This record gives sequence, C-alpha cells and structure tokens, in this order.
Amino acid sequence: MKIQTKLKAIALNTFKEAVRNKIFYLLIAFGVFFAMSSKLVSLLTIGNEAKVLKDVGLASIHFFSVLIAVFTGINLVYKEIEKKTIYNILSKPISRSSFIIGKFIGLAFTLLVALVSMAVIFFFFLFISTGELDSGILIFFLLLYMELLIITAISLLFSSFSTPILSSIFTICIYLIGETLWTFNLFKEYLKTPIDKFAAHFLYYILPNLERFNVKSAVVMKTGIGTFHVLNAVLYTAVYITAVLVLAILIFNKREFK
Amino acid sequence: MKALEIKNLKKSFQSNFLIKQFHILKNINLSVEKGDIYGFLGPNGAGKTTTIKCILGIIFPDAGEINLLGKPSNAIESKSKLGFLPEHPYFYDYLTPVELLTFTGQLFAIPKDRLKERTLQLIELVGMKGKEHIKLKKFSKGMIQRIGLAQSLIHDPELLILDEPFSGLDPIGRKELRDIILSLKDNGKTIFFSSHILQDMELIVDKVGIILEGETRKEGKLSELISRSVRNYEIVFTGMEEQAMKENNLDCIPRDKNFILRAETNEETNRLIGLVNRGNGKILSVTPAKMTLEDIFLKEISR
Amino acid sequence: MRVKLFFIFLVCIAMAGFLQFKYDSHTDYFAEKNVFVALPPGQTLKILSFGFQDLTADMLYIWAIQFYSTYHYNNRFDYLEQVFNTITDLAPQYKEVYIVGSWIMALEAEDIEMTLRLLDKGSRNMKNEWIFDYESAFYCYKNLKDYPRAVRYLKKAASKPGSPSFIKRRHAHLVYMEDDLRKAYAMWVEINKNAKTIIEKDASFKHLYQIKFELDKQVLESKVKQYKEKYGRFPSDLTRLVRVGMLDKIPLDFTGKEYFYHPETGKITARRMFKWKRR
Repeated sequence: MKIQTKLKAIALNTFKEAVRNKIFYLLIAFGVFFAMSSKLVSLLTIGNEAKVLKDVGLASIHFFSVLIAVFTGINLVYKEIEKKTIYNILSKPISRSSFIIGKFIGLAFTLLVALVSMAVIFFFFLFISTGELDSGILIFFLLLYMELLIITAISLLFSSFSTPILSSIFTICIYLIGETLWTFNLFKEYLKTPIDKFAAHFLYYILPNLERFNVKSAVVMKTGIGTFHVLNAVLYTAVYITAVLVLAILIFNKREFK
Repeated sequence: MKALEIKNLKKSFQSNFLIKQFHILKNINLSVEKGDIYGFLGPNGAGKTTTIKCILGIIFPDAGEINLLGKPSNAIESKSKLGFLPEHPYFYDYLTPVELLTFTGQLFAIPKDRLKERTLQLIELVGMKGKEHIKLKKFSKGMIQRIGLAQSLIHDPELLILDEPFSGLDPIGRKELRDIILSLKDNGKTIFFSSHILQDMELIVDKVGIILEGETRKEGKLSELISRSVRNYEIVFTGMEEQAMKENNLDCIPRDKNFILRAETNEETNRLIGLVNRGNGKILSVTPAKMTLEDIFLKEISR
Repeated sequence: MRVKLFFIFLVCIAMAGFLQFKYDSHTDYFAEKNVFVALPPGQTLKILSFGFQDLTADMLYIWAIQFYSTYHYNNRFDYLEQVFNTITDLAPQYKEVYIVGSWIMALEAEDIEMTLRLLDKGSRNMKNEWIFDYESAFYCYKNLKDYPRAVRYLKKAASKPGSPSFIKRRHAHLVYMEDDLRKAYAMWVEINKNAKTIIEKDASFKHLYQIKFELDKQVLESKVKQYKEKYGRFPSDLTRLVRVGMLDKIPLDFTGKEYFYHPETGKITARRMFKWKRR
C-alpha cells in the first residue's frame, strides 16, 4: 500500500537521524557502564550480592533509557522545523498525520534498538556474574519498552509545538508525575468538595500512570508477574499512545511554518 | 484546465495579541496556463514566498481559492503532481544525493526500480554525476540547489514551483538552469517561479505576474506587456560639462563615466543629438531600446 | 616564560600539599563524635524514589553497613531502629536486611527487644521464612533466658514451610529446660522416630537417655526417701523397694542397663550424664 511506503520512508529517515546523535550513544554507554558498576556496588553489601547487582543494573538501564526516550523525541520535530527540512515533507503528497505517525514509528524503532543492545549486554554481564538467566527480566524489559513508548509519544507531542528545552522539562515533569501518580490513592479520601474530587479524578485518569510498569521488585525478588498485569500494561500503552499521537496530530495540523 | 489558479487570496499574521494584524497578502489573483513558464515577480517582502507557501499548504490562507491542476490545493493527491524547490533548500545533510532522492521518491510511493532509474537520470540532468555518494553537508550552495532541483523532479511532476531559483547562482549556473527549465517546457511541463532578478525572467517566461505589497498589480503575457510599451532610443554620450547639460535641460541618467538620454520619437532623438554636439559632447552610441521588464517593474513600483 | 609558569604551578601545588599536611596533623579523622541522621520515613522515601525503591533500599542498606562499622560515632545506635525500619519499609522482602539488622541490634547495640521487633517485622512480611522466628527464639533463650517466649517463637518457626528438623530439637530441649520432662520426653520420642540422619538419632538418643534418667531419678529418689521415712534408713538396694511394694519394678536406663544406687546418700546416678542445665 502506498501509505505504508511513505510511513516507512519517514520512519527510516527518523531512525537514521536519531542514531546520528552522539548523545544517543553516550546515554547507551552510560546505561551499560552504570549497569556494570553494579558489580562493584554489590561487593559492599552483606549477603545476596545478586540482588544488588540486579537492582543497580536494572535501575541504571531504566534511568538512562528514559533519558534517551526524552531527548531523542524532543529534538526530532523541532529540528525539522528549525532547519526547514519540513518544507520538503509538507510539499509532498503525505498528510501531516502520516508525518507524525512516521516519526513516532522511527523513534519507537530507535528505542527498540537501544533497549535491545542494553538488554543483551546486561544479560550477558548478569550471566557471567551470577550464572543465572532469569526470564522474569525479559518481562521487565518488555514493560520498560512500553513505558518508553509512552514517554516518547509525550515528548513527540511537546516537540510538535514547543522548543527543546521546554519540551524536555514538560516531558520529564510528566514522567515524574507518572511515577508518583499512585499516591493519589493515598490521599483521595481527603478530598472534600465535589470540584476537588472531580478535578483530581479527572487528572488522575488523564495523566499516565507509570507505576504499572514498575516490576523491578517483582523481577528481582522473583515474586512473579501475572498475565493480567502484562496484558493490561500492553493495552494501556497502545491506547494511551494513540490518544497522545492524535493530540499531537491535532496540534500539528494547525501549525503554520513561516 | 489551468495548471494553477489563485483567486482572491488573503493572508494576515499577528505576532501577538497586542499588535494589530499585519496583512501580508491582501488580494492575490493569478492564473498559470498549462505548458507555460510563469514568472512571479515582486520586490523583497511583497509576499511571493508567502503565496507559494499557501499553495503548498505550509501556511493556511485566511480567504481565497487555490486550485492545482483543477483540484483544490489542500487535497493530498494534488501534491503528487507538484514539484517544489524552496528558496533556501535545506536537506538532511547527513544523506548523500542518492539517499535523498530515494527518500523523496518514497514519499511519492514510486516503485523501487523506477525510482533507481529516475535517481540516476536526474543526477545526470543536474550535472552532479560523480558526486552522488558524497554527503550533502560537503556541498556548496550551488550544488545543493542542483540537488534541490533534482528532488523536485523525481516524480516527473506536471507543475513545478520554484521559489527564487536563480538567487545565488553564478552566470553559468543561471544559464544551465534556464536551459533545464526550457527543456522541461518542451516536455510539456508547466513551470512557475518567483524571482526579483528580471534579466533571467525576461529570457524565458511566457507570462508574468507582478506582485507588490501583497497585491497582484499586473498580469499578462510577456510579449503583450512589452509590445504595449513604447519604443525608445537610448543615446549614450560623454564629454559634456555639467553646466552645459543643465543649460540645455538635458534629463540624463549617469551610467559609469557616461550619460544616457532617452528619446521616444525620431525627432526628439535628432534634437537631443544636436544638443549634445553643440555642447561639445561626444556621442558614443545611439540604440533603439525596448522597454525592459525592469522598466515596467520600476514603473509599477513608483505608482 | 613557560618555565616560569611551570615553576609557579609547582610552588602552588607544593604549598597546597603542605597546607593539607598541616591540616591533617591538626585534625583527628577518627575522633569520637556524635552524629545526626535525618531520614524520611519509609513511605515518603518510597514516593521520592520515583519507582526506584529497591535501589534506594539497597543504597540505604549499604550505607547502614558502613555507618554501623564506623565505631567512633558514639551515638550511632540512636538511629538504629529508624534506619532499619525505613529500609524494610522500602523493601519488605529484603531478607538480609532483617538478619544483619538483628545482628547489629543484638550483638553490638545489645538491645534485645529492638532486635525482636525487627525480627517480628521480618516474620510478618515474609510469611514463608522460618529464620526470623528461629533467631528470635535464640535471643530469648540465650539473652533473655525467657524460655516460654523462646518456645512460642520456636513453635512459630516450626510451622513455617521448609523449617529444618533441628527446630523441633531445639523446641524439645527448651521444653526440657522449662522442666516439663514428660512433654520433653514425648517430643524426643517423636524426633527419634522420625530421625533421618545420624546427628538426629544421636542427639535424640542422648536427650532421651538423660530425660529418662531424670524422670526415673525423681521417682526412685522419692521412693527411697519414702522408705527412709518408713524404715528409718535408706534401702540397701533398689530391690528392697519392690519387695516392700513401693515400686512395681526397677526402671532401667534408656539403654536397658541398671542405674547406680548409692545407699549411703540415697542418690541415683546413671552410667552416662549429660549436663545441659547450667543456668
């Protein structure tokens, strides 16, 4: 189909551009470096070095991959507008929505490559250090990828109308909110007026709840993650990124480029 | 069916809520016949690029109608027959010409084999053979412009829109570009380009549209515009003293170290020649001159 | 010019080194001092760690190990319970923290009640681990000498899955230490019956021997006393007790051999003695 070729072209081009960015490699390198430094940290603990190894390793990969998701996403649309390469795209028979979707696919693919490289290195390292290969960690990487897709979609959204600095601040703020949104359940009983209740609930459901992707404890402690949990996470991701991309398309459709 | 038709196009910008709206396009009307070369002429800031951006859907007009090859310009498929070269072409500088043309072609969903063929053809056409695998960031402006032209032709468009294509080219480049445009016309293509350099336009256009301060001032076939103009004679002389020139009320234009007089009739020409001779001036040349496009243009501006 | 600049550089570095040396000779890095530790409660840290709570728990644990190894901090035990509570709130399933925490609390800070609180928390949060209740039992036995409490803990430990066989043995022994000889005997019989290893068989044998001895000793010595009260002197040997009808038959030791009877004192001794009751 024609539209597939066009989407593929944009996605591939986005990927090529993303992997040119030195920051991309730097962040991957840091992610791997910190994951491996977990070996040193584990020496300081008493008992169960494997737990510390996995905790530090998975946390570093998580942290740096979030940074990759944020910083790769915010540059992409902004750069096209800055450098006016966007004129070349908009003058072609490709809808603005296809452009945004193509960009997202390219970013998703870039992230996949980054995450898989980090995962492979980390698995290898884990195997050498502890001699065990845990399939639970695969589930962690799957859910981490879902989380990254949401963050990427949000950073793309901001990138379609805002400068990189503001986009990065907003995206990181939403990430932090997403990680702590679960605390809403702790204080919602203190909301008294109907307006407060409504506003708070509204925000709670609109903002992304990233706690569902936090399976590091379950994976390291091997307490198991149910299929319901995984299924719910994947569906949530699919639905949420669709919503965010639709919003990005709506905004981008109205933009003019002087 | 006209290749491009614009009716009553209006566009204004407002940079923030406090400043009043700034009307950049007040009333643009133009029509481009199929197979013509159309020159879109206007000084800097008249709204040429804005008009072109409205055609391409990069900017959304406030009012008016734009039809590309019979269909409204905001339909996606209209763009599949349209080729565009922006004023300052920017491409992904980490790509090579081949990669860029392949990418562009994919946006038109051109099948792979045909795309490969076209890519090679176009690289040769714009004279970039041998350099097709060098990254664009190493190219000079002229070379990028050539590649820009190639990417605007990758899908064999019926209508080509070029925004200031001659700017920044050296005389050889200009000639080459003129040749390419003429050969495209021979192949049945319609070319619409904007410029403020009149000499290039004069040599190749069929029809001209003059735009000033967001309005179309004059539009018409070049042959008609110029033939309507008055033939005059250009007298180039030197050696006369300023005092003498003033005494004789000679309304002359200095050019380099000489002076020019314009006369509209034979009789006037003779009279002026006599005046110069009596004032001890030396006649260097007497040339019948047509009114140039520049003259028409300057006349419009002064109104 | 270059040489001059290099010279200035050398002089400055030398001066910096000298000043550092002076500073070092004035400062005692290992002087005893008081510290202040402010740690947010576990729930707050959980929120502030933005999804990295296990990492935070690990870092705090590693910090705590270093902190409690710094012996010149005088008042470090003031924060002991708070620190380990915070870590276990962040990672309730982190077994090592409870264990190491309990070591520091019991062996260094010597606060057994604090130790027991931490171990109880571990037992609550990790319902399938027997080790916490076992350790609690040990501290009750060794430090508090509160045998009933130790027994309660051992019961809890024994009920957890995977609890090793020696818990039953400890339990039986504690019951013995509480002087409930018959119950202890019954428990040891059970252990002996289910004994799978040589250690188990051997240990249960010894305990059964000793307990039987003590039980028999009680009975025999009371009968001997009874005899003396009736006849004015200790019997010459134990068969006399049977003949006068005070005893049905003479009990033998666990191996089926006779006890030793000392007519001068009226005491019974056994061929083998296991002295566990040292209080």
